[in-house]
Amino acid sequence: MKLPSPTRVLLYIVLILIAFLIVLPFWAGITTSLKTSIDVIYTIPVEPPPSPTFGPWMDALEVMGRPLLNSLTFTIFATIFSCIIGSINGYALSKIRFKGSDIVFMFFSLGIFIPYQTVLIPLVLTMSKLGLYNTLGALVLAHTAYGIPICTLIFRNFYKEIPDSLVMAAKTDGAGTWKIYRSILLPLSAAAFVVAGVLQFTSIWDDFLFGLILARGSEALPASVALANLRGTTTANWNVQMAGALWFALPVVIVYLVLGKYLIKGYMAGAVKG
Amino acid sequence: MLKEGMIALLILLPSIALVGYFVYASIGWNVIVSLTDWNTLKPSYNIIGFSHYAEILQDSTFWISFQNNLLLILLFVPSSILLGLFLAILLDNKVKGEGVFRTIYLLPFSLSFVITASLWAWMYDPSVGVINTLLQGIGLGFLKSGWVTDSGIAMYCIILALVWQFSGYTMLIFLAGIRSIPESQVMAAEVDGAHGFGLYRRVIIPQLKSSTLATFVILMVFALKAFDFIYILTFGGPGYSTFVLPLDMFRETFTMNHFAYGAAIATVLFVVVMAIVVPYLYTSSRRREA
Amino acid sequence: MVKVIIKNLTKKYGEVQAVKNLDLDIEDKEFFVLLGPSGCGKSTALLCIAGLLRPDRGEIWFDNKLVTNPQRDVYLPPQQREVAMVFQDYALYPHMTVSQNIAFPLEVRKTSKSEVVKRVKATAELLGISQLLDRKPKQLSGGQRQRVALGRAIIREPKIFLMDEPLANLDAKLRVYMRVELKKLHQKLGTTTVYVTHDQVEAMSLGDRVAVLKDGILQQVAAPTELYDAPKNTFVAGFIGSPPMNMLNGNLVEKDENLTIDLGVTTFELPHWMQEKVKEAKVSEVVLGFRPEHITLTGKYQVNTIEAKVEMCESIGREVHVHLTVGDNSIVAVTTPAEDVKVGKAAWMVLNEEKIHIFDGKTGGILA
Repeated sequence: MKLPSPTRVLLYIVLILIAFLIVLPFWAGITTSLKTSIDVIYTIPVEPPPSPTFGPWMDALEVMGRPLLNSLTFTIFATIFSCIIGSINGYALSKIRFKGSDIVFMFFSLGIFIPYQTVLIPLVLTMSKLGLYNTLGALVLAHTAYGIPICTLIFRNFYKEIPDSLVMAAKTDGAGTWKIYRSILLPLSAAAFVVAGVLQFTSIWDDFLFGLILARGSEALPASVALANLRGTTTANWNVQMAGALWFALPVVIVYLVLGKYLIKGYMAGAVKG
Repeated sequence: MLKEGMIALLILLPSIALVGYFVYASIGWNVIVSLTDWNTLKPSYNIIGFSHYAEILQDSTFWISFQNNLLLILLFVPSSILLGLFLAILLDNKVKGEGVFRTIYLLPFSLSFVITASLWAWMYDPSVGVINTLLQGIGLGFLKSGWVTDSGIAMYCIILALVWQFSGYTMLIFLAGIRSIPESQVMAAEVDGAHGFGLYRRVIIPQLKSSTLATFVILMVFALKAFDFIYILTFGGPGYSTFVLPLDMFRETFTMNHFAYGAAIATVLFVVVMAIVVPYLYTSSRRREA
Repeated sequence: MVKVIIKNLTKKYGEVQAVKNLDLDIEDKEFFVLLGPSGCGKSTALLCIAGLLRPDRGEIWFDNKLVTNPQRDVYLPPQQREVAMVFQDYALYPHMTVSQNIAFPLEVRKTSKSEVVKRVKATAELLGISQLLDRKPKQLSGGQRQRVALGRAIIREPKIFLMDEPLANLDAKLRVYMRVELKKLHQKLGTTTVYVTHDQVEAMSLGDRVAVLKDGILQQVAAPTELYDAPKNTFVAGFIGSPPMNMLNGNLVEKDENLTIDLGVTTFELPHWMQEKVKEAKVSEVVLGFRPEHITLTGKYQVNTIEAKVEMCESIGREVHVHLTVGDNSIVAVTTPAEDVKVGKAAWMVLNEEKIHIFDGKTGGILA
């Protein structure tokens, strides 16, 4: 749709204005994180730091270093597990005809929508019974289990796009079920793995609730909870808080900038936040 | 040699077991807990029936929470959708640097609520926070406010922040929807004389129905289960003014150890969410078959 | 090399009966064509032979080995049937090179590397694609992909070739060329081949025998010439041959002991050789069928001819197609019209009486 010139100028003005408003909190956060404690008090937040320092970043890292490592660990493991499982499930549901295929798919799909409050109590009980309470294992298990539905959805829809004739050809060529997956479908799955992987990585990394319930105040503390703690205890040290938030944001921002278009595909697949 | 269908089921069995346990069985377990008298740190499984649900009806915190959830549904959902639609329409105009704008608008959505809540805490801080000092700086000091420390408007401040976070997502959905309309249709409409806003109103927006519906459902579900952001920004305060159901459930269960009562709240939450999701899934799968 | 016997094959998809009580006897080394319009069940039958689909009922035998029988729970999976299939979209593995594609059936069976290399080379040479071995499918043209698909099929020397409209996605010229190549390949390899197509020209040129299907039901199985000259019903008559056989509806009337057809606008006396047969059938509604090339046109009335109006003449190089109308019916004649035949005017069609057909007006079955 083409608009006449003055309207186009207005268009850009509006777009840029909104962009500013979106960026404002980040800008304020970044500038604040680079200020000394004194500057935080004496300058207005949107002003750039008069004498920038990475001090707050170092302070934040002291508190968040280990939690960041924790988050990285369980996020990577849970992402890998849920993607692999999702891929195999997606194969079974899209390329193998069997009665009940649709029912199983619905069974998984409903799992995407449940509010997690509904399963919190059983989740805690389960993890403590398994002896996993307050360990990274609990987070890996929980995130993998609850990640299976969305990963299955993504892979199943992806494999549906691959022509059935490829699978039929492989069968007449003598390939059995597993061989078909390994030699034909898997090599073609790269894009789906990236989409599911990126989606899972950001969702799991960003998660707060499970971390709060399953690993609060322990060796396995996730970065999200550590950041929340930072806010709770030090209401005045804004520079450290902002630095902490930015540390936590870093991996996701990198993923977002590098692999953003895959993340978008993941969002479009019906991903639900929170 | 195993029948293929058997192999498929074998492949799916572990996942079915995991999801069956962690989702379905757990939901059931939660309902059972809600019917017990377990309200201390020590588990207790004596079934006492639906009395907790009766309690809920009398619980003022519950009703404040419920109200706030309704507020979210009534304000947050339409605002995010409208803003997203607006942004999508703006960006549908062969904008130079569209990719950059899209990246910026969508960034908040990809971030954790912990981060955005921390950022907004800084924005909303009454004494040294961004908004108040900015207003002061440009001479609008009289607009300063307690923001999230003011129980009268705290919930609205939260809603604003959430709209900020979600508009990129709704924009994404609508942009995809607009772009899926065949070019030829738009050109035919233009030849017929439609242009500018009228073109959008008559031709494009009506075809966005399914995108709009999907987004509505997703956002409504979020409005009901939003926890992280509010926990971190206000923890339901000041007082109970920003309490929401998930937060109420959390507090009852993990702070006050009223496990059975918390389970009851969670069950109510579950029923409300399902009341929205199930009809939607049902009608959308019907429509897909048609 | 193998015979394929199909008995009573039946398959339903939801409400639709894809194949109904199909019986076929395919001879060893035969090039057997399944022909029919889309939805007639030919692909379904093919997939059942391959083992990629399970029928609801029926039996499939390879020589004297029962490979499919749902009632007795007999089902040999496709991996073990020693059949090779060529698909309409070629189904080449996009992430593998041409040589890897062709080698795949051998690689699945864990054939030794040296053996694989040898056989891929030989197969590629046979099909003239040796120079393409390191390319990926998306770099190939349609005809090249087709040959790769063929290569993958023939490399393991299967007992049966199954082909599902393999030439449908090629342009016209290439299709004609590939038809010849396929025929030559079959003569060279001698493998029993079951070939599915909706193109009757393809069927006629390639098939030793052709089975015509409609709506899941077998109409006729015969060698091409027999299908052409002696169709069993109006469907086969109208499907085979291009331009198709002309058909006119009429009622039988006896005139002086001789049956004639009342075509509405005119009458036509049936030739002697068919009088007895048609009388025996005791029907009143019939269809008169005659092929375009069995008509001669004249501008003057002659006895026992059919009057028609000349609408248009198409000259397509080696033939002239004359389009006429008889009442509401369109007729095509392939003939050189006489001097006095003019567009817009009446002409009389002289039919080659040896070659006309009479079908039952109600059932479509051949009477004579």
